[in-house]
Amino acid sequence: MKPKLIIGIVAIVGFTSLLMYNFGESISTYTTFENAGERSNAHIPGVWDKEKGAEFSLETKRFTFHMIDEAGVSRKVVYPKPKPNNFEEADQLVVIGEMRGDIFYADQMLMKCPSKYNDADPGQFTDAATS
Amino acid sequence: MLGTVGKLLISASFVTSLAAMIFFFISANRDQEKTFRIGNWLFALKTIFIVAASGILIYLIFQHQFQYYYVFNYTSLDLTPRYLFSAFYGGQEGSFMLWIMFSAFFGFGLMKWTREPYKAPVLFFLTLTQVFLLSMLLGWDIFGLKLGASPFRTIAEEMPNAPFLQANPDFVPNDGSGLNDLLKSPWMMIHPPVLFIGFAMMTIPYCFAMAALWKQKYNEWIGPALPWTLSANVALLTAIFLGGYWAYVTLSFGGFWAWDPVENASLVPWLIGTAGIHTMIIQRKSSVAQKSSILFAILAYIAIVYETFLTRSGILGSSSVHSFVDLGLYNQLLAFMLVVTIVGLGLFFWRYKELPSPDKESKVLSREFMTVTGAMLLLILGLVIILGTSSPILGRLFVENPTPPEISFYNDWSMPIAMIMAIFTVVGQYLFWKRYDDAESLASELVNPLLVTSTFTILAIIFGDVRNIYYMVYLFCGFFAIVGNTWILIRLVKRQPKLIGGSLTHVGFGLLLVGILASSAYNRPLVDQKTAQYNEAVRQGEVTDEQGFKVTQTEEMLMLDLDQPVLVDGRYMVTYEGYELDNKVRRGQQTYKIKFEPIDGGKPFYMHPEVYPMLTTSSAENIQWSVDPDVRTRLLSDIYLYVGGSSYVQEQNDRVQENRSMMQNVAAQDTTEEDLVQKFEFTPGQSIDIGKYTIRFVNYMKTDSTELPPNTQIGVRAEIELIHPASDRIVTLNPLFAVYSENGQSYIYSPPSFAQEFGLEFQFTEIKPQQNSIEITVTGLEEEYEPEWVLIVADEKPLISVVWSGTFLLMIGFSISIFRHWGRERKKNIE
Repeated sequence: MKPKLIIGIVAIVGFTSLLMYNFGESISTYTTFENAGERSNAHIPGVWDKEKGAEFSLETKRFTFHMIDEAGVSRKVVYPKPKPNNFEEADQLVVIGEMRGDIFYADQMLMKCPSKYNDADPGQFTDAATS
Repeated sequence: MLGTVGKLLISASFVTSLAAMIFFFISANRDQEKTFRIGNWLFALKTIFIVAASGILIYLIFQHQFQYYYVFNYTSLDLTPRYLFSAFYGGQEGSFMLWIMFSAFFGFGLMKWTREPYKAPVLFFLTLTQVFLLSMLLGWDIFGLKLGASPFRTIAEEMPNAPFLQANPDFVPNDGSGLNDLLKSPWMMIHPPVLFIGFAMMTIPYCFAMAALWKQKYNEWIGPALPWTLSANVALLTAIFLGGYWAYVTLSFGGFWAWDPVENASLVPWLIGTAGIHTMIIQRKSSVAQKSSILFAILAYIAIVYETFLTRSGILGSSSVHSFVDLGLYNQLLAFMLVVTIVGLGLFFWRYKELPSPDKESKVLSREFMTVTGAMLLLILGLVIILGTSSPILGRLFVENPTPPEISFYNDWSMPIAMIMAIFTVVGQYLFWKRYDDAESLASELVNPLLVTSTFTILAIIFGDVRNIYYMVYLFCGFFAIVGNTWILIRLVKRQPKLIGGSLTHVGFGLLLVGILASSAYNRPLVDQKTAQYNEAVRQGEVTDEQGFKVTQTEEMLMLDLDQPVLVDGRYMVTYEGYELDNKVRRGQQTYKIKFEPIDGGKPFYMHPEVYPMLTTSSAENIQWSVDPDVRTRLLSDIYLYVGGSSYVQEQNDRVQENRSMMQNVAAQDTTEEDLVQKFEFTPGQSIDIGKYTIRFVNYMKTDSTELPPNTQIGVRAEIELIHPASDRIVTLNPLFAVYSENGQSYIYSPPSFAQEFGLEFQFTEIKPQQNSIEITVTGLEEEYEPEWVLIVADEKPLISVVWSGTFLLMIGFSISIFRHWGRERKKNIE
């Protein structure tokens, strides 16, 4: 084989494996509060724990509420932005951030909202920041 | 009734399309002119059918026929005609129709201008793609096998199990659910048509490449395909720009690009199409790169179909902000994608051995090598982005339930690739216009541009306070692309101004690189000094919360009290001057007035962010607020600002909350009445409206020392005006504040002053020298004072204008090339 071809193949294989490795590192899996562990970018789906309320504090400029994850565990979530527009009517939330002790610090929050009439429609996710 | 006609028209369009496709196939196979003409007639008929069906849908929308699900779901009575019209392509079905129509119109252009032997096969492939697109709209139900989702389906067909329909099958809603407020923007009206023009045009290079493979004529096809590809590129770029600009001025994520799958869906075909343009141009010059031209033309269209599959099949689900509603088209879209890919790549590899190869390999320092490598880099970038966008599928290789990749994945890979590209644009352009036999002669030509580039980079590093070495290298590459290509541009303008298209686009690319870095990495949140210090401490890792954990989230919000100026970023005095309610544009919309005064003496200016209730999703029990940022654009930087909350919004929410709890608990008792004691803070000259009164702090007054207690250290009186507008009475009060010492201890003396006619009691209770303000305690007011405030999020984004100008240069450059290549094609056609 020509040396050029070998270099080419090595380059392609090297590039692809690096790319795939990095890709694998940059995605994570949807998880629960208990399993979030030390991860700084944990994605946790769940629902708002309505009984424990939700409030935006003007002093700390943080929005706090409790969320029940898919394992049924309720934890306090702190979100450093105003309350997202469609927070109350979301039937599912995804909080993205990290667990510190018993409190989850969310950097991002996604909301899945039911559409108005259609009970069969799974609805859509909208990003908290954009809706 | 009309709906049935519409359904029939779509079915007729599908059937005639299928027939046209068969005739084009026969014609291409046997080189028959007669069958080709029949195909043309069928194609025209198909176009009439789909145009008529679209006309009916538009008519139904304008007639507010809410029994049709599409009309119900995307429109409402209050929409103005232009938004009613844009609702036609606001949903998935309508956007397919628009796509097909554009594709059909371009089909007539192809019939007219395409030369033999490509004519019939090109139209065959074009019609093939239209057959697939039309099948998405059929709404046929063949023995339980559902084919397509008709835009003309009724609400009853859409939701057979809904309880309100079971009770009353003829139910017609009074009003539709309406167009999402965020989409009510002129940018969003023109964005989809431009995008689908791009999608439809990008089909054409695919058709030509397939025709070339079929007819084994591998060189001539690029002549007509090149202007089409260039046009598709300009359309896609314009659509990307419109989408990005809309996101920037409408959404509150504070940028123009978020690597969202839907954004990627138009970027990737653009990148691969641009790769195709590069190889086509070099193939025209020196008969190399035939293989890659064909491959890129095929891949660009596959990218469009693949991204269509991702965004419309529902597979992205949670990972995209605005993926379409799942219409159950998964299998059909998958089939479409597989056919386009297998037929395309299959034919390519079938003919692969036959495809011409260059006699000898090109040298590294040749325009052929440089251009092809540039094209490869564009392809690689496109593939990286496809990989990221495909995370719901490909992520399963690594984890179950994969999430989308972090944004850093896209940034980390695209930045170095873009940097290499930037270098290649300059070297490639030098080699493109002139031969250099050895590296030394090229290097000596590049000395001057490199010197200028270095100067610019150093200046940018100093003035922009760039500390990151990686960014420095990146900036150098960006400036090199700008300077080097401008150098060539100037030379070309002198000699052959018609040929400047390429250099213009490359200058635009360089500007984009610099602008993107400046606007994103050097985005400055505008906060007051205290928050800035806090954020700095957070970044240093010095802040811990009550539990002892390190705080990592910085604060980017700024709270402004009415008429209380705050110094922001050490440069602006920012004052909230109130809001106006306006029902004209949107019901319940508040426009806030925020004043910015540059402290270095620049001209003051106002920003007017808006907040409005989303009518489509709000109800009496729950108001959903949406924000409309304000952007102030200047040459060097933009100020981007939106309202995160305000006293008005909170009041409205409390009111709604109260209504709700009152309904639940009618017996709730009013709180027992008691004299309220409230504290107010005043600066000299400030007045506060509270209930029936206005209280104004005029200024300090001289004190008569006889009234003061002995050993007084400080003794001040305030002049307070209590204004009662209803009776036109003004009561002036002079409460005293004194500090005196007794037995070595300090005491505050603030005797109450009375406004007897109103039953109010005033006390001067504190002086705050730092704020130049005083505190007055008032007893006896009925209403509780609620200060008016607003919470804003403001950013300063440098050089966004450079991003836009880079984009415009790309558009202009590509457009110039269209005219050049199209002009040459026209001449050939006349011959």
